[in-house]
Amino acid sequence: MATKQTRYEALVNALHSDLFRYAYWLTNDKHVAEDVVQETFLRAWKSLDSLKDEKAAKSWLITILRRENARRFERKRFEMSEYEEASILDVNAHSSEQEIENHWLRDKIAQMPEEYREPLVLQVIGGFSGEEIADLLSLNKNTVMTRLFRARNQLKEALDEEPEVRGQYNG
Amino acid sequence: MDDLQFRRSLYADPNNRDNDLIEALSKDPQKQKFAHEVSILEDKIFNALNVPVPDDLAKKLLLKQTFASHKQHKRKTRIQLALAASVAITFGITFSLMQFSHTYKTISDYAIAHVNHEAEYFNNDIKTRVSLTKLNQKMSAFNGVFLEQLGELIAANYCRFDGTKSLHLVFKGQSTPVNIFIVPKSEYLKVGDHFENEHMQGLVNNFYNNNIIIVGDKNEPLKKWQAQISQKVRIST
Repeated sequence: MATKQTRYEALVNALHSDLFRYAYWLTNDKHVAEDVVQETFLRAWKSLDSLKDEKAAKSWLITILRRENARRFERKRFEMSEYEEASILDVNAHSSEQEIENHWLRDKIAQMPEEYREPLVLQVIGGFSGEEIADLLSLNKNTVMTRLFRARNQLKEALDEEPEVRGQYNG
Repeated sequence: MDDLQFRRSLYADPNNRDNDLIEALSKDPQKQKFAHEVSILEDKIFNALNVPVPDDLAKKLLLKQTFASHKQHKRKTRIQLALAASVAITFGITFSLMQFSHTYKTISDYAIAHVNHEAEYFNNDIKTRVSLTKLNQKMSAFNGVFLEQLGELIAANYCRFDGTKSLHLVFKGQSTPVNIFIVPKSEYLKVGDHFENEHMQGLVNNFYNNNIIIVGDKNEPLKKWQAQISQKVRIST
């Protein structure tokens, strides 16, 4: 019991941030993301014994989280709304230039098709390789690499084309 | 590695540093410039994706788990307790049933078994006789009295009629002895008027609080015995 508890605490401390960020980009809502992460860890606790290799913990949790998120869609199919700007993290009035740019980019990422966004988050936040992402998303590696390319390409183009939009936040 | 391939592989994975890529980089300043741009873009993407995590999330997760496992533990304990209790009850019931259960369900079953069991001790040639006085002394326990002898009484003894104190009389019969049992009525023994098996037959008469059971071989005219009993035996309530 004590060992299970210790393992669980270690998992929570080491991985809850990555899991939350992943959930956030999956759901575009920080409250929903928190709920999904809670469900994920609760489920992880119940089946912690099935996790044999601690190195696989992150992808194991990601898999649980994706399933929990899918479940949420089944439950709330009719309540689900499209992405709304208001649900994205607030940026307060006295943010730094850096934060304003972050916020602007976050909007762009949130508007990106999920099939591009998800591999990007897994690569940048999760630190997974192309093969690992392909495994997690049940895609082949070439598809994953193409999507990652397109994701960055979109963001690059957005940054190049719309510098003046960022200025609106300065006012 | 051509320019498009180079861009594609760097966009797909900015941290990719395989040999082809490094070689292409070292030869071409344009590519170095592009790689630098990509790393700036990557920093921005990284910062954007790293949304702030709620401070108390880890605590919440641990708390939630503590409650969940506490509930689970409590439920387990309750189930275990309930299991233990039902096992104990089952044992208790089984034990008391075994203690107090009766082997035979009907009077006739028991009567025949009883007669068969004692058959070796009694036969028609036994010369001992029990007097009417002795018989009535024993009969007083059942609030009854024999006005006259029914026939030649070989033996009269109290016995346990499947756990119930009863009086067992053995009379000389036509070819084999006739057995008469006086048994207080009990709740668990079912009474049938008439019973028989291959060799034996029996009649059951109700006398107030007692059953009088007559068992004899198939040749024995039990009805005659039954008639005698109703004439010569009195049992008070």
